[in-house]
Amino acid sequence: MRAAFTVPMLLVAAFAGAAEIHAPAQITAGNPITIQTSGSGDATFYLIGQTQASKRKVQAGTDIKVDSLELERAGIYAAILCASDGCSSANFAVNPAAPNRLSFLVHPSRVPVDSPNRISAVAVVQDNFHNIVLKPEPVKFSVMPEDGKEVSATRPSENGVAWVRLSSAKKEGPARLGAAIGHANEVRVVRQIAAEACNLRIKASRTKKDFLIETDPVKDCSGNSVPDGTVVSFTKVDSAGKANVDVPIKRGVAKVELPVQGRGKITVASGVVTGNELELGGGQ
Amino acid sequence: MMRSEATRSVRFGLIAFFAVSFVCLLVVRELQVSAKESVPRVQLHADNLGPREIEDLTAKSVPRDYALAWQTLEQALAENRPGLLDAYFTGFAKQDLVQRVNGQIKSGLRTRYQDGGHKLEGVFYSPAGDVMQLRDHAKLDVEVRDGDKVIYQESLNVEYTVMMTPGADRWLVRELQASAKKP
Repeated sequence: MRAAFTVPMLLVAAFAGAAEIHAPAQITAGNPITIQTSGSGDATFYLIGQTQASKRKVQAGTDIKVDSLELERAGIYAAILCASDGCSSANFAVNPAAPNRLSFLVHPSRVPVDSPNRISAVAVVQDNFHNIVLKPEPVKFSVMPEDGKEVSATRPSENGVAWVRLSSAKKEGPARLGAAIGHANEVRVVRQIAAEACNLRIKASRTKKDFLIETDPVKDCSGNSVPDGTVVSFTKVDSAGKANVDVPIKRGVAKVELPVQGRGKITVASGVVTGNELELGGGQ
Repeated sequence: MMRSEATRSVRFGLIAFFAVSFVCLLVVRELQVSAKESVPRVQLHADNLGPREIEDLTAKSVPRDYALAWQTLEQALAENRPGLLDAYFTGFAKQDLVQRVNGQIKSGLRTRYQDGGHKLEGVFYSPAGDVMQLRDHAKLDVEVRDGDKVIYQESLNVEYTVMMTPGADRWLVRELQASAKKP
């Protein structure tokens, strides 16, 4: 009974010129397309997509041109045609174009020297329209030290992502990290800074009233100067009790004037590193 | 006589009390159901995630924030409120969706989603923990209206490539790229 009713209805619809729409199933991002329609009379065409929700008047039965600007972002799109007899639609996929851009994330931006696998570099492979290219593509990573030879390695992307882990050099200074694919070549700079202080030493000299306590130039175990601003803690123990003074390194050294009552001991530390101990007082 | 009237009023009082309680119970239950429905169901599978191992807290916050992102996305597209997208979207994902909502406003369109849930598969978690890539297998019933007229209705199985990055107090969706689900 239902079939007997449906078949004539379809025939009536066909003869009445029911509006239909035919879009290509798959296209590449950034390309214009032509969508075919059937039927006749005034109709409305809608394009719904990742960034799109547009509407325009068309004539059913004519070809509809969709501009490349409307199809730049990858995703699932719906082309809809509504005429007096109802709406019909066709879904199609916009796929990413060829890889030509990289989103390059490097972390951290400052790293202590001689730290194994401390730098993470992640490259997301994209086309010209910032769509992620999911097909495997080779990404060339390179490290350009300030006064050294460039070192590079190629890694294939997986699901649009390629990554490497790097160790910092033994010498402080900026290192340029690059990632390249197609015409894209992204560079980030990582500052390699001195590690913890090593062989921290202090010396004392008399001033008019107090003692001037001063460190030797503060360096890490590789001989790199620990950056200015790094805090050095001086601790004094004398007959007046115990006192701590935190001093930032300035021009490579940290210094402080301390009054010492009677005989006293001065110790120094920076981070987890402790230095030598001085005994003062009694006119010394 | 007086006693039978008192008994009758007690009886009516009890009936009224039970009737009001029953209605309240129904309302509360209805509210609970709608609250549950409004946040989409998201399940995270992080077995193949790497190279960084996912932290316990991150394993909870990523599906929670992704679900809330979809809730705001669906609300923004249904009510044409681009401002809602600020909370859980950033970068190109936010830019795209804001453009879509603005297009809807210009054309007088609205999109409603009946969300059938998201199976979220962890793909990549960067060594520094600053970006996570996921694959979302989503079931969605989509309805587009022009004014009051329904112009499109479709049940879709969509696969999304998702990039999330940590924000101050939540994970944000940075990329949301759909592709047709492989059969």
